Amino acid sequence: MRATPGRTCGLVICTFAALHCSRPARADEAESWLEIETKYIFGFTTGSGIGIEGEKEFTVDSIGRFGKRDGRYAATETKYEYEFTPSQFVQIEFGALGSTHNIRGVTDLDDRNQVAFAGGFAEFRYLAIERTSNNPLSVTLAFEPNARLIDETGGAHVHNYEFETSINADLELLRNRLYAGFNLLYEPEYTHTLADETIRESTLGGSAALSVRLTPGVLIGAEAWYLRHYDDFGLSAFTGDALLVGPTLYVQFTPKSFMVAAWNTQVWGREVGNPQPLNLAEFQRNRVRLKFAWEF
Amino acid sequence: MTVKKRKLILAAACAVACCACATEIGSIATEVQLTYTGGQFQPNEVRAPADKPVVFRIKNLDGKAMEFESKSLRVEKVVAAKSEGVVNVRALKPGRYEFFDDFNDKARGALVVQ
Repeated sequence: MRATPGRTCGLVICTFAALHCSRPARADEAESWLEIETKYIFGFTTGSGIGIEGEKEFTVDSIGRFGKRDGRYAATETKYEYEFTPSQFVQIEFGALGSTHNIRGVTDLDDRNQVAFAGGFAEFRYLAIERTSNNPLSVTLAFEPNARLIDETGGAHVHNYEFETSINADLELLRNRLYAGFNLLYEPEYTHTLADETIRESTLGGSAALSVRLTPGVLIGAEAWYLRHYDDFGLSAFTGDALLVGPTLYVQFTPKSFMVAAWNTQVWGREVGNPQPLNLAEFQRNRVRLKFAWEF
Repeated sequence: MTVKKRKLILAAACAVACCACATEIGSIATEVQLTYTGGQFQPNEVRAPADKPVVFRIKNLDGKAMEFESKSLRVEKVVAAKSEGVVNVRALKPGRYEFFDDFNDKARGALVVQ
């Protein structure tokens, strides 16, 4: 079996889980653990956490996408992000985007091997329902405008504007121990190419994730994403959908630093007008997330 | 009415409004006093009524700084050695809200809102 970044990431997550599962924490131990911030414990699924008032954070968040129908395809997008929480209900993030594309022999995409500054983004998060000891549900509304100079999929120079809106919810199923996360996503996107072509598209989807806390600073889990792609903003020109699943890992190194790793692989998909299995036109075979964060 | 008189009246109205606001804020917030000594909160459990803002006044009597932090209250504040820190918290729903010293996680406490 050929080693791919997705399989390597999955292997790392599974090995880490196996090492920590060798001595599972007892339920009464978990009672004494400190509460945990849920935003990043579900992999690609975002939890409802918004940090704490006055907290600032710098993060490097890379998402790699690998595998198309043919040829060789590897693309990454990295967010260099500053995040702060000005009030007990609002979180703001902004930063720069960097991208890499390594494409060879993929149908409908130009061969490319490049590293580029890709644009910028901001995110506004509002905590709509807060968790208390009497209510395990917490819900946050998030809005993330992105402006890109590089096409996320093909790496060509474009003007791309995306407005990601999402609902991030999570449930504490067992105190300090077991969490479920849910996302709903709507992501309209407008692209203007150098060939003066205008593209309107949108992605609609949802996810469900489960994360268990093995030790105070280590959580592992699994998630599933269902994504639908449309060639318009109004969700009428359906072009295909996909189901991705995979493991997640969260490790807190110190009270002020942590990492997130996740791997999703496409297990089912369809493209309108193409009888072949999987949707590799709008989505990829594998995606990997690796994030490092430092609070200050 | 001269311009000078108008300015005086406006200044007086602003002062009255500021005093009124300050009094109102002071009256609706519940003040919670905490002392940090020997690496522990005293008391380690405090109470406050629901649906009212809470003001924590934390006196750090120890010889080194501590950081008052709570994930569920969503606040943090570094309090220097031998000094006092003030933390304002929103109106809270009934429940138990844990807090701790981020520099010494053995120091823990809880606010019980009823």
